[in-house]
Amino acid sequence: MLTLLRRFEFLFNRRRYLDDLEAEMHLHRELRAELLARQGIAPDDATLAANRQFGNTTLLKEDSHRVLTWNLLEDLFKDLRYSLRSLFANPLFAVIAVLTLALGIGANTAIFSVINAVLLRGLPVAKPEQLVYLHVEPGQPDGAGQTGNNSNASFSEYVFEQLRTQHQAFSTVAAYVPLGFNKIAVRVGPLPEEASVEMVSGDFFSGLGAGATCGRTLSLADEKNHAAIAVLGYGFWNRRFGAACSVVGKTVYVKGIPFAIVGVGAHGFSGVEPSPTDIWIPLQINPALNAWGNQQTNYYADPLWWCLPLIGRLAPGVTIQQAQASLASAFQRAAYEHLGGKPKPGETPVKLVLVPARGIGQGGDDYKQPLYYLSAIVAVILAIACGNVAMLMAARNSARQREFSIRLAIGGSQSRLFRQLLAESLVLAASGAILGWFFAMAFTKVLAGWAGMEANLAPDRTVTLFTGAIMILVALLFGLAPLLTVRRVPVGLALKDSSATAFQEKTRSRSSRLIVVAQVALGLVLAISAGLLTRSLGNLERANLGLKSDGLLVFGLSPQLGTVNDQKKIAFYTSVINKLRAIPGVLSVTLMGNRIGSGWSNNTTTILDGKRPEGEKAGMRWNSVGADFFTTLGVPLREGRDFRDSDSLAAPKVAIVNETFVKRFLKGRDAIGHIVSYTPEVAFTIVGVVADSKYRGVREDPIPMAYFPYPQVGLIGDMHVELRTAGSPPSFLPEVRKAIASLAPDLALLQPMSQSAQFAASITQDVLVSRLAQFFSALAILLVASGLYGTLAYSVSRRTSEFGVRMAIGCERPELLWMVLREGLMLSLLGIVVGAPAAFAFSKYLDSQLFGLAPHDPLTFGLAVVGVLSVCIAAGLIPAFRAASIDPIRALRYE
Amino acid sequence: MPPTTREEIPQGTLDLLILKTLERLGERHGFEIANAIQACSKDVLHVEEGSLYPALQRMMLKGWLSAEWGKTAENRRARYYRLTRDGRKQLIRELARYGRVSEAIGRVLQPA
Repeated sequence: MLTLLRRFEFLFNRRRYLDDLEAEMHLHRELRAELLARQGIAPDDATLAANRQFGNTTLLKEDSHRVLTWNLLEDLFKDLRYSLRSLFANPLFAVIAVLTLALGIGANTAIFSVINAVLLRGLPVAKPEQLVYLHVEPGQPDGAGQTGNNSNASFSEYVFEQLRTQHQAFSTVAAYVPLGFNKIAVRVGPLPEEASVEMVSGDFFSGLGAGATCGRTLSLADEKNHAAIAVLGYGFWNRRFGAACSVVGKTVYVKGIPFAIVGVGAHGFSGVEPSPTDIWIPLQINPALNAWGNQQTNYYADPLWWCLPLIGRLAPGVTIQQAQASLASAFQRAAYEHLGGKPKPGETPVKLVLVPARGIGQGGDDYKQPLYYLSAIVAVILAIACGNVAMLMAARNSARQREFSIRLAIGGSQSRLFRQLLAESLVLAASGAILGWFFAMAFTKVLAGWAGMEANLAPDRTVTLFTGAIMILVALLFGLAPLLTVRRVPVGLALKDSSATAFQEKTRSRSSRLIVVAQVALGLVLAISAGLLTRSLGNLERANLGLKSDGLLVFGLSPQLGTVNDQKKIAFYTSVINKLRAIPGVLSVTLMGNRIGSGWSNNTTTILDGKRPEGEKAGMRWNSVGADFFTTLGVPLREGRDFRDSDSLAAPKVAIVNETFVKRFLKGRDAIGHIVSYTPEVAFTIVGVVADSKYRGVREDPIPMAYFPYPQVGLIGDMHVELRTAGSPPSFLPEVRKAIASLAPDLALLQPMSQSAQFAASITQDVLVSRLAQFFSALAILLVASGLYGTLAYSVSRRTSEFGVRMAIGCERPELLWMVLREGLMLSLLGIVVGAPAAFAFSKYLDSQLFGLAPHDPLTFGLAVVGVLSVCIAAGLIPAFRAASIDPIRALRYE
Repeated sequence: MPPTTREEIPQGTLDLLILKTLERLGERHGFEIANAIQACSKDVLHVEEGSLYPALQRMMLKGWLSAEWGKTAENRRARYYRLTRDGRKQLIRELARYGRVSEAIGRVLQPA
């Protein structure tokens, strides 16, 4: 142990040790020469004699050096050179092994780089590990209102101001809030366009440590003055202005209000939320530029409106726990300041929770489950790939036993032999990792395009380390296998006939059979999971939406300044509808507050006939919609009537509910004439019942729904326009744009698309996951098949003479064929027997991903078993035919 | 005058000779160790001088010797080697082994 330490000490102080040695040897020669000179030898001769007596200095230095180190590098170099030579001697083996490993390592690297980007990586700013999102648990205090993507992530302006003074915990707390749930209309130059715009506090950029590419970022003074200035996001600037700094000084109109562009954000920085921000402006007090595009009072004026997402940078050396503890009382004080100073009786007091800012932040949770599932799949693929390569190596090493035996016999040490085999695995693993790295880069590029993912998937240092770790793991796995082979090699083997290898052959093939069985089992598990996801996706794609989505065109409108009160907005939207109705080919037009299929919805406790309905589930979703809503969408009317233009602000308030609503709350009684509402202040009379249709997305189960005419709901904000067209919806866009532009030149169409595309977008993730699952399972089955093929082929080639003898004594070819095939079939069946229960146990974790399908769907299990079995039979047929076509004469001469 | 025959030190005994020399003389540098071995063996045993140094490095590494730079009587820088506790233990072991081996050899060479 101490020796080892001293060796390390030497390695670190190598220079000094060598100098010492040199000096010492020099002194020795000098002293010797002086001694000889004193004995009467001429000085020159004495020096020569001294040198002669001393010996070869260089050699001695090298000897000393070798004593001190391990010859490690040199031996390693030799081992590597020898490994390369022996791999080149058998290129087919090397190519197959490296390719197999590259697939396994590449798949893992690819999925890991997605996990890294989505869940792990810090924001691209200085010291990202100090950044935290602020959350309030269990939710906003009773009596406060809330708006936001994540109900726990919004704070009131008042609480924000209190928190940003807490310097013992934070060096900065910054607020950032978008001007709308979606992109909003902006304009630079003559044409309006849509962009995502965020209002941020003055220290947003400085606190995050995000600089400017051109011009400057924002300051605290800009926040205080609510300055009319804007900073462009790098991506938006690059895309839209060709990365020209001359854009600084120009004016961008945000919802029609002019902002002077003062700078462009840093390269790679696109805000702190998953979807990139295009434009940042300071926090605004103008009601027209309210948080989330809301139509209520501005957040500066309403201390009870929790709407600002916050991100904080922890003070240096402060942990999350310390920060939470030190903020607890100040936060509670601020939270209840305008609510009577303390929680209401029975209310759980609110608590500030800090969440590390990693990956794509708060949106990352949605991807967690599919990503874990995919990483499990690729881990299995790597295991299968390793199994194949281990079998290949074992086969090759057993073919090389004679070589090993000779090397041992002529004095090679076992450890040296073992090290050399380890070097071979290392060379294989490293080549596989390098090739796999390239696979992964190509794959993630395709994946990012395919998924429309905005997160940057390019591998970074973490991914490199991960790949390196896998490589070493893989190399060690193989390293252990040859250890066994080498240990068992008897020295005498070199001299004996190869039939003496029979015993080893048996143990080797037993372990390789075990590997094949395990591989088939794993392959089946993957095939079943992919099958389940595929069938589930089919169900999603064929799902009955409850409406006719073909021919529907949808886009959003964000009304401009000047249409602030509801009457003016109703007038505006009415003129929009009339303009659109006039376009030839447009069959009908309607409006909706929440776009169907987009995931957005209004949720509330139902108020039916003035009270909460009985039973546990009293919740309903609702939407404010325009006239002809159900006619336009093609939702069948069961009873009563659709909304009309005459259901105006002044007309009696009316509502339409769906069948699930009637079933759950009215127990099937006649709904017409009942009173429904989302708030105790207003009452709507039910005038119609419609069939169930999908609201948020395809995956949704039927829920009680109520629809109200948008003029009667009030607080009108952004609306989505739905057009029923006679033809292909996108072809109407130019006409529609022209019509809108004639009414409001600054108004852009927000996210225009066909309604089918909108619903398809709601299952993007399902499509992606199931395609990846299909791809990876196919890869896995291919590897399993090649492993099985390899095992059988190898066994056939080793048994050539046996088959020759069998044939010579009268065994028919079909019998031989069956013999080999039977072996493959037995292994596959064993694998299936092991794999099916494993899949049964595993598939329940997929339950939440499946739609209209039980996780133990017998049809999927059956199909997967048949599929895997047929692939295995196909893999076994080739060697079986080879065995059956052996020429007995040649086979007997084989050895 | 040097003796007519000089014998190479038998394989494997160099360590023993170095250990014993240092035990007897205390701190010595390489040249002195080589000379001491020659002198004590009445010039019969001849250290192949250079080979002393790899041996010294190895013994340092094993912790039998420690070394320190100092000045010789003529004021030259030299590395002085000294036995450590482990070195003394090793000497005892080596002596015992040497004793056993030479006894055995003696018995073989002088049949009773």
